[in-house]
Amino acid sequence: MKIVVVGAGQVGSTIVEALHGEHDLSVIDTVRDRLEPLAYRYDIRTIEANGASRRAIQQAGAREADLFIACTSRDEVNLVACSFARVEAPRATIVIRTSNVEYIDLWREGRLDVDFALSSELETAHAVARSIGMPAARQTDSFADGQVQIVELEIPAGADVTVVGRPLREAGIPDDSRVLAIIRESSMTLPGGDDVISEGDRIVVIGSPRAARAWGSLLAPGERAVEDVVVFGGGQVGTAIARTLSEQGIGVRVIEPVLERAREVAEQLPGCRIYNATGIDPDFLERERIGLAHAAVFAMREDAKNHYAATLARVHGVRFTIAVVHDTISTEVYELSGVDVTINPRAVTADEIVRFAHDPRTQQVAMLEGNRFEVLDITTKPESEYVGLRFREMPIRGALIGAIVRDGKALFPHSEEILQAGDRVIVFTERALVADVEKVL
Amino acid sequence: MSPYASARIAGRARLGIDLAGALGLTGMLLAYLSLSSLVPSAVAVGYGEPFWPFLAAGAIAGGVGLGLARLGRRRSTGPIGFREGYLVVSLTWLLAAAYAGLPYLLSGEPQLSRPVDAFFEGMSGFTTTGATVVTDVESLDRSILLWRQLSQWLGGMGIIVLALAVLPRLRIGGRQMFESELPGPEVNQLAERIRDVARRLWLLYIGLTLVLIGALIVVGQSGLDETLSPFDAVGNALSTMPLGGFATENRSLEGFAPVTQWIVAAFMVLAGLNFALLYRALVRRDLRALRRDEEARLYATLLLLGSILVFVEIFDAGLFSGEAAVRQAFFQATSLMTGTGFAITDYANWPALSVMAMIGLMFVGASAGSPSGSVKIVRHLLVGRLLRRELRQTIHPELVVPIRLNGQPVDERTLRAVLAFVVMYVGIFVVGAGLLAIHARFGTVELGITEAIAASAGTLGNVGPGLGVAGPMGSYAPFDASSKLVMALLMWIGRLELLPVLVLLTRNYWRV
Repeated sequence: MKIVVVGAGQVGSTIVEALHGEHDLSVIDTVRDRLEPLAYRYDIRTIEANGASRRAIQQAGAREADLFIACTSRDEVNLVACSFARVEAPRATIVIRTSNVEYIDLWREGRLDVDFALSSELETAHAVARSIGMPAARQTDSFADGQVQIVELEIPAGADVTVVGRPLREAGIPDDSRVLAIIRESSMTLPGGDDVISEGDRIVVIGSPRAARAWGSLLAPGERAVEDVVVFGGGQVGTAIARTLSEQGIGVRVIEPVLERAREVAEQLPGCRIYNATGIDPDFLERERIGLAHAAVFAMREDAKNHYAATLARVHGVRFTIAVVHDTISTEVYELSGVDVTINPRAVTADEIVRFAHDPRTQQVAMLEGNRFEVLDITTKPESEYVGLRFREMPIRGALIGAIVRDGKALFPHSEEILQAGDRVIVFTERALVADVEKVL
Repeated sequence: MSPYASARIAGRARLGIDLAGALGLTGMLLAYLSLSSLVPSAVAVGYGEPFWPFLAAGAIAGGVGLGLARLGRRRSTGPIGFREGYLVVSLTWLLAAAYAGLPYLLSGEPQLSRPVDAFFEGMSGFTTTGATVVTDVESLDRSILLWRQLSQWLGGMGIIVLALAVLPRLRIGGRQMFESELPGPEVNQLAERIRDVARRLWLLYIGLTLVLIGALIVVGQSGLDETLSPFDAVGNALSTMPLGGFATENRSLEGFAPVTQWIVAAFMVLAGLNFALLYRALVRRDLRALRRDEEARLYATLLLLGSILVFVEIFDAGLFSGEAAVRQAFFQATSLMTGTGFAITDYANWPALSVMAMIGLMFVGASAGSPSGSVKIVRHLLVGRLLRRELRQTIHPELVVPIRLNGQPVDERTLRAVLAFVVMYVGIFVVGAGLLAIHARFGTVELGITEAIAASAGTLGNVGPGLGVAGPMGSYAPFDASSKLVMALLMWIGRLELLPVLVLLTRNYWRV
């Protein structure tokens, strides 16, 4: 597949990293320093030009392109690039990244002429909302309109003994769910009935939303649903997070240090409480009882500030902290100092975009564990060798079918279930095997 | 150039505003307004009464107006700006009141023979206050009586709004002057051009007045209310729609049948709504706009609460029972809250609590964008929200709380203006009451503390009647000349929503 990527920032490079192996990529960016490392590391074509220039788009081979991705950090450039691509790349699926929710809405109403629009802010907000819905989860993704959730869970000390420390076939696993993988240190196993989950492991579970919640309460007994979340930073990301959480009925408090911005946020979010404060003033944290919040999200512009504020909030008693990552390295810094969940907006966005580069039948892809594993959502071909087989008869080749969607409804198959042609299957697999899996199904 | 030249220029006292231009525009407005004297002239001819006082008044006002306009044309330095607007509005209303008083003076009517009385009555007319110095209304000539009612009707929707609607070319943007006559966030959004806004509002106003006249005539002619003549129907409709309060009989509306009183009450409620909303509800058939509007809802709530309070009190005191008690309570509460000032009984004799409720209601007012005076509902709403925010911020000092009206954030400057308005309003009311009490101390009229308060609140709020001698069935005639002047000024300030007049009192207004 021929792909044109406009923008070689963090989103762009994550996309390149994920796609360079199987596809022919052309990357356009104005800054040589961003293109060079990519060109040295991967076998791609780079064009140093403005993405909003028609010539640059032609030069990148748009005419033959199958996929056109505009993912610079500037909406205007992306919009212009996409409108040129509509003419210059007649065959391509066009994907636009935007930071403006208004454009997303326009696209949904069919008034923005692109095939897919997504915003880092919104994707981040959804990621935050998912992990707040599931306090023990490190990462969650949903498929088939939310009927299927894939959750990466950490097994803490004190987890329920019905699932921990005994073989899976004897464990009391919640209905409609399945353990897809057990990750111990850096090795991953696709578990069979004899494998055991133990403390300190991480597991990947697929299941219905209800089952996912059941897993959450099994692993963190005694924790109640989140009702009060404090969001530090009222920028675009923070506002999107606050809005998403507030729409889910969670009480949200936002802390924004700039008064003007705090006013704007307060005007945009009538349901939330907005404070004009730095968030690192101990008196303020004490007075507003920030420590009593169920969770705190750190979405300020600077990672160092997020880091400090998160640590301070933990000192004040916040038990569940989520931090937004801007520099990739911060993920490790955050995790080392005890931040529970880290979310990288650019990685989240790249995940969403990458799915378009997969087989056109593949509807959605999630990347787990720093891109080592992927979750695919594929519609089975009639000629596939798996069609007509019972699940227990299927050969194991480093991939696991976690759920099937038949007639729009999600099923979590027993071993006796038979795979039918046209079923949508949600498959968990290693990166290296993605192409193989797409071939056989 | 000599070094002294610049010093000489700087030494001259210079005006910061284009006085000639402002006077010119005022003159033009007055000249056009003088045409209104033709209506009572025609009525006078019809009733065989002397018509020359009206024509003479019209000629004088027209002459003065044209003279000023000519001065403006010759001396004006440029187009009228934002700053001159305040002077134009204030001056126009002052001159309009004087013009309205001229026919009273010229007609030789004994009850209005003193200039200050004529001015008071004229001001009370145009500002839709409804306070009167005429003790025996029924003895007035029909044409004089109709002129009183007509002046209220003209003043209700605003003289300048009318001018904007009909004048071919007014050399002003108009929005600012429009706002000082008819404030309200909604009003401006009816059309792109201010002239179209003004036209629509006036057409709606005329339409509603015609409906009311029709309804009252039907009631009168069908025998439902035998005391209601067509003249009464027209006269009282002309003072109901602007929430004025001048009546065609000595005892206000007491003599009319309950059905008439109910109809008038209903139209008072209607006229107390924001006309922009009313336009949407009635003309564009968007009733939801009215039902969802926060000001309209609070207006309805306060009307009900006021009525219930008064009802309980008068019912408990055994003054009225059954339908009469409900009607009395609803009519009086509505009349005072909307600043109309009609009465269907002498409520000054009611128990203390209900009289206090009445005085309280005088400070409420009706919606912004209606012809009512006083503080107005939307300001109460915003001040209430400001206070609630203040309480919240006492506990959470860092909390940022935008104040919303109908879901839209209201900017802080507007909020400050609203708060300042309420404070100034109360301040002026207190000063007014104080001045009246002082005058009474040296004057002839017996004035207790409540009467002084009621008179000040009644005139500043453009309500009309007070208590005591100036009660609903009485008149302001016994007051001495200086008190009447004070009250006329209160009406003027109140009608223009304080600011245009108060601004003129600052030095900065006049200087560069």
